[in-house]
Amino acid sequence: MSQDFAMIGNSLTWRFVLWFIVVTLLPLALFGFLSLRQSEAALQNEIQNRLTRLADKKTLEIKTYLFEREQNARLLARGKLVEEAMSGLSVAYSRHEPGSAEYNRAAKQFDSYFKVYIDGESLFYDVFLITPQGEIIYSQQHEPDFGTNLLNGPYRDSLLAQVFRESRMTLESSISDFAFYAPSSTPAAFVSAPIIRDGALKGVLAFQLNTERIYQVAKDSIGLGLTGETALAKLIDSEQAIFVAPLDSDPQAAFRRKINLKTAAIPMRNALLGERGTGMGVDYRGKRVVAAWRYLPELQWGMVVKMDADEVFAPLYQQRKILLEALLALVLFAGAVAFYFGRRLVVPLKSFASTADEIAKGDLDKRVDETRADEIGALGRAFNRMTGNLQALYRTLEDRVEERTRELNVSNEQLQEEIIEREHIEAALRDGQVELQKNQNLLNEAQRLGHLGSWELNLVSGELRWSDEIYRIFELDPVRFSPSYENFLNVIHPDDRDKVNQAYTQSLEDRQPYDIVHRLRLADGRIKWVREHCASEFDVSGKPLRSVGAVQDITEQKLAEEALRIAAATFETHEAIMITDANANIIRVNQAFQHITGYSSEEVLGKNPRILNSGRQDKTFYATMWQQLLNDGSWTGEMWDRRKDGRVYPKWLTITAVKNEQGKTTEYVAIFSDITARKEAEEEIHNLAFYDALTNLPNRRLLLDRFRLALSMSARSHHYGAVLFLDMDKFKTLNDTLGHDYGDLMLIEVAKRIQSCVREVDTVARLGGDEFVVLLEEVDAGAEEASQKVALIAEKVRAALAVPYRLKDYEHHSSPSIGVSLYRGNVESVDILLKHADLAMYQAKESGRNAVRFFDPAMQHAVETHAALEADLRRAVPGQQLRLYYQIQVDSDHRPLGAEALVRWMHPKRGMVSPAQFISIAEESSLILDIGHWVLETACRQLALWGKRGQTRDLVLAVNVSAQQFSKHDFVENIATVIRAHQINPACLKLELTESVVLADVADIVAKMHALKALGIKLSMDDFGTGYSSLSYLKQLPLDQLKIDQSFVRDIATDTNDAVMVQTIIDMAKNFRLNVIAEGVETEAQLDFLKRNGCMAYQGYLFGKPVPIEEFEALLGGL
Amino acid sequence: MQNRTRGKTNLLIAISVALVMLASVLLYIQYGRAKPVIKIGVLHSLTGTMAVSEAPLVDALRLAVEEANQSGGVNGRQVEMVVADCRSDAAYCAQQADKLIVQDGVQALFGCWTSDCRKAVKAVVERHHHLLFYPLQYEGLEQSPDIIYTGAAPNQQIIPMVLWALQHKGKRFYLIGSDYIFPRTAHLMAKDVLLAQGGQLLGERYVPLGASDMAAVAREIAALHPDFVLNTLNGDSNLHFFRALHEAGINAEKTPVFSTSVAEVGLAAMAADLTAGHYAAWNYFQSLDNAENKAFVGRFKQRFGRDRVLDDPMEASYIGVKLWVNTVRSLDTTNLAPVKTVLAQQTLPAPEGIVAVDHETGHLWKAVFIGKARPDGQFDIVWKSAQSVHPAPFPFYRSRAEWLAVQQTLPGVRR
Repeated sequence: MSQDFAMIGNSLTWRFVLWFIVVTLLPLALFGFLSLRQSEAALQNEIQNRLTRLADKKTLEIKTYLFEREQNARLLARGKLVEEAMSGLSVAYSRHEPGSAEYNRAAKQFDSYFKVYIDGESLFYDVFLITPQGEIIYSQQHEPDFGTNLLNGPYRDSLLAQVFRESRMTLESSISDFAFYAPSSTPAAFVSAPIIRDGALKGVLAFQLNTERIYQVAKDSIGLGLTGETALAKLIDSEQAIFVAPLDSDPQAAFRRKINLKTAAIPMRNALLGERGTGMGVDYRGKRVVAAWRYLPELQWGMVVKMDADEVFAPLYQQRKILLEALLALVLFAGAVAFYFGRRLVVPLKSFASTADEIAKGDLDKRVDETRADEIGALGRAFNRMTGNLQALYRTLEDRVEERTRELNVSNEQLQEEIIEREHIEAALRDGQVELQKNQNLLNEAQRLGHLGSWELNLVSGELRWSDEIYRIFELDPVRFSPSYENFLNVIHPDDRDKVNQAYTQSLEDRQPYDIVHRLRLADGRIKWVREHCASEFDVSGKPLRSVGAVQDITEQKLAEEALRIAAATFETHEAIMITDANANIIRVNQAFQHITGYSSEEVLGKNPRILNSGRQDKTFYATMWQQLLNDGSWTGEMWDRRKDGRVYPKWLTITAVKNEQGKTTEYVAIFSDITARKEAEEEIHNLAFYDALTNLPNRRLLLDRFRLALSMSARSHHYGAVLFLDMDKFKTLNDTLGHDYGDLMLIEVAKRIQSCVREVDTVARLGGDEFVVLLEEVDAGAEEASQKVALIAEKVRAALAVPYRLKDYEHHSSPSIGVSLYRGNVESVDILLKHADLAMYQAKESGRNAVRFFDPAMQHAVETHAALEADLRRAVPGQQLRLYYQIQVDSDHRPLGAEALVRWMHPKRGMVSPAQFISIAEESSLILDIGHWVLETACRQLALWGKRGQTRDLVLAVNVSAQQFSKHDFVENIATVIRAHQINPACLKLELTESVVLADVADIVAKMHALKALGIKLSMDDFGTGYSSLSYLKQLPLDQLKIDQSFVRDIATDTNDAVMVQTIIDMAKNFRLNVIAEGVETEAQLDFLKRNGCMAYQGYLFGKPVPIEEFEALLGGL
Repeated sequence: MQNRTRGKTNLLIAISVALVMLASVLLYIQYGRAKPVIKIGVLHSLTGTMAVSEAPLVDALRLAVEEANQSGGVNGRQVEMVVADCRSDAAYCAQQADKLIVQDGVQALFGCWTSDCRKAVKAVVERHHHLLFYPLQYEGLEQSPDIIYTGAAPNQQIIPMVLWALQHKGKRFYLIGSDYIFPRTAHLMAKDVLLAQGGQLLGERYVPLGASDMAAVAREIAALHPDFVLNTLNGDSNLHFFRALHEAGINAEKTPVFSTSVAEVGLAAMAADLTAGHYAAWNYFQSLDNAENKAFVGRFKQRFGRDRVLDDPMEASYIGVKLWVNTVRSLDTTNLAPVKTVLAQQTLPAPEGIVAVDHETGHLWKAVFIGKARPDGQFDIVWKSAQSVHPAPFPFYRSRAEWLAVQQTLPGVRR
């Protein structure tokens, strides 16, 4: 039995221990584990972030270092001194031994210049200048590489040779990796940049870099703890890498120690694969590390920044240790507690069992221990109840009585407390009434001060009460006005009445208070603003009982708000406003200020406006400004300021001092606007004055300026220059057919093309329309060479301008005509030279366009002669220098029919001038009218004389009429007047018209011809066959005669074409019933032919030359 | 005995209930919150004349996006491609860019092919300070804080190619190109370096984009028999050009043609015997022999079909997305300012080899390959740059201002 008890005791105790451990320790261990995991992740994350930042910083440091060195090389290679050094030293190098005294003398001047890059800033280890052929012609350090050739010398496989070849080929700068460099016996890298002038490679500049800076970056282990280091390595084959910088753990590692990437160094392997990342891994020592890895494309290096995991996770290991210890302690403690409670349970059970055992043996006085409250105690009591049942009942009854007494006492005490409380309330009520009266007075006072009145409306009785302040607000006399809704509505502004009414009604319907702002209109018409609140009370059925409201006078507040709003709106104008206090600290700026200056208001508040200063104005400027500001209280003027982004801009500024009542300045207000646009406009206007707006080329004014300058330059240098005058053929047609848009496009294109053909120093100007001028300065000293060069350029321009133009979707073909005039010195004026070029251009045009012509003095002469003749011709009529000659016209029997009157000019100096020379000049001007008139007049006078004699009465005199004359509207009248004046027989006057006369306005001409016919005058068509007259046209004209042109007559006997032509004309004349006369008849053969074919009238040398009247009349007499 | 068994069962039940509750709480914390997708915009022409060239790029982008999503998305968010059809119209494309940025709220744009398109979209992207990845080799002379150029700058394709040609084929060269900004600028640069190395220019011809009559050019080449021809034709003209060369009896051995814009996808559309033996330079060829590329080609073919081919612009599109994904993953934010900062420092083991964003220019460090076309439409690599080449969008020998001024004077360049 007792063995059983022992077993129960043991099993209960141990079960307790087990449960304790399960329930308390298992979750604890679990949470401990989880939190450890969490902090491990957080720690790793933090370290990784730190390593990421450091790795980025270090890569950037190396990149920047290399980039800057490359930039140094690029800049230096562009410099003038390197160019000089290159040319100077290559001469010295090729003539003298490198290192010889002569060479050193040549190199000396450059030494100090290059030394700066080596000593001064310790940027580089050495500088090289290399010829395109690979010769190192300059080295600062004079190591064994100096004077060798990089293409075939001993160092042709070095990195220096590699960057040289790279730059030489690609014309780009180049940078190499670090490697052992034999001439310096140390690791080195090289940077090179090509030296290029005018697109040709003059040489290569190279710098040698040492490892110092890179090692510094690698060595810097700030933020890396005790075990942290930076490893730099590069691949040597697919499985191995080599360190390129010393390690903290191994200072000799650089270029010596290798890493096997197959088995270890995972971070470095990742880096050299090109990855960028961070994480855990095993490093080259086989240790677990936290690392960040990077790839450097410039050097093809891998970089690993790492810390040992042991160091990183040391705090975590500490934490783990503490946790384990705590868990162990808890296990021990929990076991002990469980054991103790187990024992407490088991011990009484054991004693119960032994007592029961004794009772069972007969000892009835024994009582088991029944003091315990648990199941064991209950068992004991049940056991003892068998003997103590009565006593137990009695004890229960007593317990009840006692409980009732306690309850009664409690009730008594509660009653007492209630009585005392009631007395308190009554006393408080009494105090309250006194207080209420006081409050009423206070309220009244408060209402007056706060401009706040109140009212109350009893909706059951209809009674309305207003507080005193209401009367004051409404400005109503309490004696004359009693409170009423009507009086209230009356005082409300009529426009707001509905609103207020509505709000109140709505409020009663919704059973919600309302709160509105509205206006009052007082008896004297003044407006007040009030704010009104109102709330109503309702009974259970929802019927309104009472409304209570308050009215507050907010007029002042309203007015203030209004003023503020206006002020704020004014402040945000498009002009910048800056307000400072009296000490010139900025206290407020507007939006426009921020927009113009680029500073936000936070950036400038509290600052001195000096931050805007551009430095363009000197101290005196500001001193004067302040002086005026202090004296007059304001300043206005223009000032240059600087924007936040550094750009300087002009502004128009007004500063005004704001003074308080005491006259003391409290603020300064500066208002300004950005006047950049205005300044630009001024510049634009300047440009417009000198440049053509369409093509941006210089205009005539600027051209003349430059031309004058060019002439004086040429006078000093004795060099020839040239001016090209050109215009585009058919430009007007383009403008007229496609419109000005296309014309403008074409001109822009022409301008571009011309510019592309000439040097930058040459001036291309547009004179207007399609006229361009090119000024070529300082072409050559020799006339021959200069004109050849100019001819080449002009031809180039011509060819460029003759290429078809693509104008939007239209292809336009055009070509230029170019006139060229050469000049040297300022012998001839600008105007003359331009005129020459212009003249040459017309020459080019006449020669069939798309051509270049040089100005030719002979041409000039011809033009001058032409001009002189014209001037003389003007004096010919008044000076009576004209003569009329007469050429006889005969019939087939050689009988005189009449004559053709021909004008001759007896020039006072030149003698006889033929009509071929001066008629065309006369036709260009209006002189032909005067001459024509003179001829007519003279001829008619002669006819009048002839009319008086029988022998000559029937002679017909033919007079030529020019197109200009005929087109005059009063031509017919003039003829009639002349006929009348001389009283001649009109049938004796024959007018010879050319085809050009009749080719104009048909209706007008036919009308005029009919009018002339009506006068009785004869009409003849001169030069028939040379123009384009058509038969149908001829039919309309009331002609009497056709004249066969002498050009047909000349070859009539020999040329069958002409013969056929003349035959046709004669046949045609017969068909139209016209008579025919042939001019220029000089031989009998011609006469025969004409006679045979039916032409019966003739004029020509065969019968007589044109002669003066005396000779003509003698000729008549001889016949 | 029975009691003790029941006690043990209760204990087990209690422990398992506790564990299940704990696990579900942990799972909820980890995955319970659904995160919104991240959108990226794609701007390529799916209709019109450029569709043939640009459509495959969308597939390359799609592959990259799908790979990112399969590997857990970006910071727990899935990436969604919003594809806009540019209709081969630059102005329309710019409108679409604006729409993608403003309405769809994309985090980055990937797209454009022609320089016209890029210039139009550039204006929009710069106005919004947004981000564009441009995948084509181009004429250079451009740089933007808001663009990552994943294709080649001139010194990473044209210049090494013509220099190689000069060294291996001879000094007498002939230039043929389409008449617009890229060929005009490319030829200018080619002439700069070739003439500086003693090259001799025999002829320079331009034909309009889409021109098909190449007989005259072929006749001229046959007459001049240059040592090599630089071909910057774009689009269909290439087919007609190579056909005309063939018909004119020009042999790739005697007169090799070096092309800037002929890649595998283009070759697939031509008869292979026309181009076999001619050359092209790119930063990527499908035939590149490295593990990264083999895997890439495998993945692409598995996704889009065994008969599909890859070329340089497609690969450049693909790595654009990769660079962006890596950046955003390392940052835990899509805020554009930090994204651009970190993008400028990105490096990537790409199918073409290691690429790295140049923090000065926003272009990539890239290796250069010259390939000789095989009869099967792939290329044999005949030359490879010793290392990744530094991108120089503005070649050194002129200043930036000079470059821009010179470019403005080129005929065929829109002003």
